[in-house]
Amino acid sequence: MFATKVLRASAAAHAERTPMIKFLGKRTIPSSIDHTPHAHPASPTHELPAGFGSSPSFSSYRQQAQQHGPLGKAGKSGGIGDRSGHSLGPVTPAKGEYFDRNELPARFRRRPLDIAEIDAIETGGATLVC
Amino acid sequence: MLRSLSVPRAAVRSAFKQSSSLPKVVAPSAIARLSKRSYATEAEERDLVIIGGGVAGYVAAIKAGQEGLKVTCIEKRGTLGGTCLNVGCIPSKALLNNSHLYHQILHDTKNRGIEVGDVKLNLEQLMKSKDTAVAGLTKGVEFLFKKNNVEYIKGTGSFVNEHEIKVNLSEGGERSVVGKNIIIATGSEATPFPGLEVDEKRIVTSTGALALEKVPESMVVIGGGIIGLEMGSVWSRLGAKVTVVEYLGQIGGPGMDSEISKSAQKILKKQGIDFKLNTKVLGGDVSGDKIKLEVEAAKGGKNETLEAEVVLVAIGRRPYTAGLGLENIGLETDERGRLVIDSEYRTKIPHIRVVGDCTFGPMLAHKAEEEAVAVVEYIKKGYGHVNYGAIPSVMYTHPEVAWVGQNEQELKAAGVKYKIGTFPFSANSRAKTNLDTEGMVKMIVDAETDRILGIHIIGPGAGEMIAEGTLAIEYGASSEDIGRTSHAHPTLSEAFKEAAMNCYSSAIHF
Repeated sequence: MFATKVLRASAAAHAERTPMIKFLGKRTIPSSIDHTPHAHPASPTHELPAGFGSSPSFSSYRQQAQQHGPLGKAGKSGGIGDRSGHSLGPVTPAKGEYFDRNELPARFRRRPLDIAEIDAIETGGATLVC
Repeated sequence: MLRSLSVPRAAVRSAFKQSSSLPKVVAPSAIARLSKRSYATEAEERDLVIIGGGVAGYVAAIKAGQEGLKVTCIEKRGTLGGTCLNVGCIPSKALLNNSHLYHQILHDTKNRGIEVGDVKLNLEQLMKSKDTAVAGLTKGVEFLFKKNNVEYIKGTGSFVNEHEIKVNLSEGGERSVVGKNIIIATGSEATPFPGLEVDEKRIVTSTGALALEKVPESMVVIGGGIIGLEMGSVWSRLGAKVTVVEYLGQIGGPGMDSEISKSAQKILKKQGIDFKLNTKVLGGDVSGDKIKLEVEAAKGGKNETLEAEVVLVAIGRRPYTAGLGLENIGLETDERGRLVIDSEYRTKIPHIRVVGDCTFGPMLAHKAEEEAVAVVEYIKKGYGHVNYGAIPSVMYTHPEVAWVGQNEQELKAAGVKYKIGTFPFSANSRAKTNLDTEGMVKMIVDAETDRILGIHIIGPGAGEMIAEGTLAIEYGASSEDIGRTSHAHPTLSEAFKEAAMNCYSSAIHF
């Protein structure tokens, strides 16, 4: 009974050396981790470039940005950032319903016809070749 | 397109239902009055998007899938596995193994009591056998993607903005992928030699050297690093006259211990490979039947012209980030083309991380794998682990060369007091029975604490044996920890144990 314990105790009592390899136990994530940027261990310069990590990322910008309400997911008002575009479903109008192009921003509207184009249409293209 | 944002779309539509059977026009301004509006992408947001399906990328993808992340991996090659599986580690090992068998049958079996008749090389079949190994492994990775719910997109990805990647699909067309987190794992490419245009037929990189259609009469290898020596070994065994030209004073690259490097050079020389160390290649002339290379002593001296049917350019590899659209997100590379990252693999845009060959550290597949697992753990759990002091290197020549930790010249330069224990394979019983006794194990330990600082092996099975050394360094073992651990008899690994014993006491069999 407890033979191993006895043997170990006896071995320890007469140990001439202490192994450098130790049983580390199950790995756990440290309770406190510093996530501020530090130089990568294999970095040849052992330092981060000036300004690294100091400029806000787009993600952090999105947390605070406002466009018709908060953009970020942190927004609690049910704004645009809370749901992905995909989850809102298709954007095409239902059958029989149409969007009026003229209400769209200018870049989506028809380009105005110039005189040459009007002439070309009215003459069946003859003004382009004559 | 217009979009209802805070009111459900169905509700918006029902608000505009009209009784007439004629089509009605709905002014978008009316929708806007009901709700706020903006533009949005149709792409589904993924937890993680990985650009590159090489070792770093595919391992990260599988790990992310296992961690329950919605992950997409974009790869343009058409097969997964990157350089390693397709045109690197794996095909080269197939050729190294089979060319060694061929060479052994030709030159070594008679002494062992095996007389073989007519031995012929069937290069086409040798290449097919290599391709079968490659295809099996790349398909295997595809299977693992399916098993771990990884979305695989075949195409070329480039950043549109910090979260969106446009993919030019290999089969034609385009699609967009949006990722909360993005990993760049685009790997590396062979560094070209200025003035020598690679055609992968006569002037080849390692890629071309893996697929030559005939055994060249002569081959010059520019660069005596691991890739050059491995491919040089393959074609030398198959019958080419191989000359290695190296700018530095030793082969194997700067990481290899000088004593081991000298030993490797001696053994490879005996196998028929010529070496020109401390030699600089000035340029080449490809106009004739044979390529003429102008070389001179690195420190200046007499010019010499080397002629070869094939020239292998193996001067190293450089990070590959072309076409990624880094300029669209303001990411820059350092002077050697590497993406700059911090200790958690983050770029200056923290949700974009980088692993593998296109960032810091040695360009090794197993280093990339370690990073791939760690980076996903950082994303998922906020904590990961890679010990850059315990990454082994292996050269798969015969005999193999392997090392981990620091070499003697590095320790000397750092002024560290150390002790060395060695053991030759010529005194190892298993190496004797195998008639394969060239090489030794060299262990370097701290003179005061006996902690192992570096292990360097040249000999049969060195690449397998170094795993024990890596484990020892990872856990801070002393040579006595190894020397007092039982190693099976008769095995090559007893040489490892005896080298350890030689550090703190004496080897028994030498």
